[in-house]
Amino acid sequence: MGSCFHCGESVPPDVRLSANVGGDMRPVCCIGCQAAVEWIAGLGLADYYRLREGPAVRATSESGYAEWDRPRLARMHVRILGADRSEAVLLVEGLRCAACAWLIERALTSAPGVHEVGVNAVMRRVRIVFDPQSIRLSDLMQALARLGYAPHPLCAAAIDSLRQRESRIAMKRLAVAGLGTMQAMMYAVALYAGVFDGIDSSVREFFRWMGMLVATPVVLYSASAFFAGAVREWRAHRLSMDTPIAIAIASIYMASAAATMRGSGEVYFDSVSMFVFFLLLGRYVEMRTRHRASDVVDALARLQPATAERRVGERYETVGVHELEIGDRVRVASGSTFPVDGTLVAARCLVDESVLTGESAPRSHLAGDAVIAGSIALDGPVEIVVLRLGADTLLAGIARMVTRAGSARPRLVTIADAAAARFVLRILAITALTAVAWLILDPVRAFASAVSVLVISCPCAFALAAPASLTRAVALLARNGVLVVDANALETLAHVDRFVFDKTGTLTEPRIDIAGISVSRGTPEEALGLAAALEQGSTHPLAQALRVAAVGVELPLASALGITAGGGVFGRIGERELRLGRTTFALGGVGLDDDVLVLADSLGEIARFPVNERLRQEVPATISTLQGEGADCELLSGDHPARVATVAAALGLRAWSARATPTDKLMRIQKLREDGHVVAMIGDGVNDAPVLAAADVAIAIGSGAALAHAASGILLAESGVAGILRARDIARQMLRILQRNLRWTYAYNIVAVPLAAFGLVPPWLAALGMSASSLLVVANSFAIGRVNATRHPIKPHPPVVAIAASGAA
Amino acid sequence: MNIILLLIPVSLILLGIGVTAFFWAVEDAQFDDLDSPGLMPLAEESMPIVKSETPP
Repeated sequence: MGSCFHCGESVPPDVRLSANVGGDMRPVCCIGCQAAVEWIAGLGLADYYRLREGPAVRATSESGYAEWDRPRLARMHVRILGADRSEAVLLVEGLRCAACAWLIERALTSAPGVHEVGVNAVMRRVRIVFDPQSIRLSDLMQALARLGYAPHPLCAAAIDSLRQRESRIAMKRLAVAGLGTMQAMMYAVALYAGVFDGIDSSVREFFRWMGMLVATPVVLYSASAFFAGAVREWRAHRLSMDTPIAIAIASIYMASAAATMRGSGEVYFDSVSMFVFFLLLGRYVEMRTRHRASDVVDALARLQPATAERRVGERYETVGVHELEIGDRVRVASGSTFPVDGTLVAARCLVDESVLTGESAPRSHLAGDAVIAGSIALDGPVEIVVLRLGADTLLAGIARMVTRAGSARPRLVTIADAAAARFVLRILAITALTAVAWLILDPVRAFASAVSVLVISCPCAFALAAPASLTRAVALLARNGVLVVDANALETLAHVDRFVFDKTGTLTEPRIDIAGISVSRGTPEEALGLAAALEQGSTHPLAQALRVAAVGVELPLASALGITAGGGVFGRIGERELRLGRTTFALGGVGLDDDVLVLADSLGEIARFPVNERLRQEVPATISTLQGEGADCELLSGDHPARVATVAAALGLRAWSARATPTDKLMRIQKLREDGHVVAMIGDGVNDAPVLAAADVAIAIGSGAALAHAASGILLAESGVAGILRARDIARQMLRILQRNLRWTYAYNIVAVPLAAFGLVPPWLAALGMSASSLLVVANSFAIGRVNATRHPIKPHPPVVAIAASGAA
Repeated sequence: MNIILLLIPVSLILLGIGVTAFFWAVEDAQFDDLDSPGLMPLAEESMPIVKSETPP
């Protein structure tokens, strides 16, 4: 159990799919696998569409796709190829493996008007060429949603991504280096044989020229990245691994070329080609892991809000951001990103501008202040008047991407780079020393020895150790539904000894007990409609629960919405000023019961909504495992003490505090840190943003694109709380293996460099040794995740604990 | 021994053709996705003959 019957990947705890194989129900990790298993089991190949009905039952009520058909929005996302051919690229959430790719391809190809479907499981992208006259983009997205995936259209411009070009060039360089190496080695073997068996000098010359012929493209084309890198390093006055590599390649090649032209001396064309090939191989492997790891996170983060809510009279309509005009009034929900630059209309609003300024503390803006596209409204909903849009705010978009890419250089890598730079300096010194010493003792061996030192000691293994381990760990976690946004967070996570959990939305899921609604005036449906309308703009878990409860109820139009942190929401519907939240907030006075949400107007109470809570499935096992491993867990909640106590007791937590305001939570975390604890805070990422920012490691839990904007270093996207265990495991392994790699590299260099300096290692063997050490480091990194892979098997169905099932007040 | 003088240039020409073909294939997006095409045989309308397609 715990792993997918079809593909063998572990099943995320929040996925409860199974496939019927000859009467047995087998767990599967995704819809694609489910369909594939059932199909292959012979249950319904003939009627494949019956399989599609299976997932169709789970169909989400996603219906907001029609907006994508608006011509001005579509123009951004659909590229017109011909009269009846348009192309769109969608990023598909939930696309996990090749089986998903297969299912999507089958499902979309069968739709009328679809010419071509290309699914890339690695990039999680679907490219569709379709006839816009017979099928619309929204239909295609609807079809994907029906299968259980969440599609996000990507901008047409993003299709030819830099990444693809990078990967193609790397592949070509690798091929040239590989083929060149093979040829060069062939000629080298002939030359070595000639040394022992005798060789005609003209044939010898011929082989040497041939060697030069094949090594030249390897050096000039394949190795050009190293020369460019070395030049960049020199310009930036920074030493790293490219400098010695470039010096080594250039000097070996030029000395060999000179020897060939002179007709005397040694040639090392095979060594230099092999050197380049193995270096490129190492880099290629590293690049692939890096791409895999960052793909989904990047793509989600780059998704600007593509639609906005524009105010028309007393109503709001959803329009594409590109349809907005200067002067429009736009509503932005709490926790959402501002789609455009604008001026604030609401009285005040906390804004997280960290994407632009890097300052993690949210800033409070007053009416009339400017807000910037890309920043996040923390306590909305607020209205803004559009100031700048389109190309003007593009600057913000670019700045954001640059800060992400530029500032995202992990601490571990920086340290390793600095160490590598010092190492390079020493090696250059030793090389010079070796050359001088041999020139005095035996000038014939000077060049070979110096080159050997330079080659054998290349700091690649050194500089590779950190990024290789890091990328492997990040990639592995991404596959498990844990997205690492900030690589430093992963390193810190390994040292965390105190986990602080938020309760609602993190450990428990709130539900509105519809049957238990008690109304003082009106009908329950009316009350539900009013409440849901008030909660429209809120991202609080209780608000989501209310909206879920109110599905199918017609919502009135609410205006002047606002949120009081730790209290509730207020707003105006028709002529009534309404308040919804805790008893104390809605009715004033002293609170009696916190297990209900109270809806009230100026005349008093209208209705009470009892709140049920249940623990998320994987929570008890996760907490007990963490405590078993010696990490303290703590509950920090703004909720009623009785309820917090129940949850704490159910989980065996001794430390908990209730009725904590955001300030209390902040103080508590600061106190823990002052006491010397390394603290991880786990919350839902949007409502807890300041508290999360105060912890050493911030872990946000949730799902979908909203997570991309959460203020945290680690996102538990598909894995639930249990992902913490996996992330902690991997982080610890990563540090262990990183240390092993560094120790190994030190040992290797201490042994190999003196041997080379004393002239005991010919350059070709040095190249082999260096490449082998680099590959060993990479291979070592791949051991992350293989060790103890089953230490934290995710139990598929832990008992569900219902708590605090309160009745009506 | 003179045959080498002929064969080596021939091998280099073949090598050049190979490299050109590979470059073309890379530019033609043949290597952009190495995972999904493995599933493409399953997309045939016909019944799969082997059942060993289900890994554990």
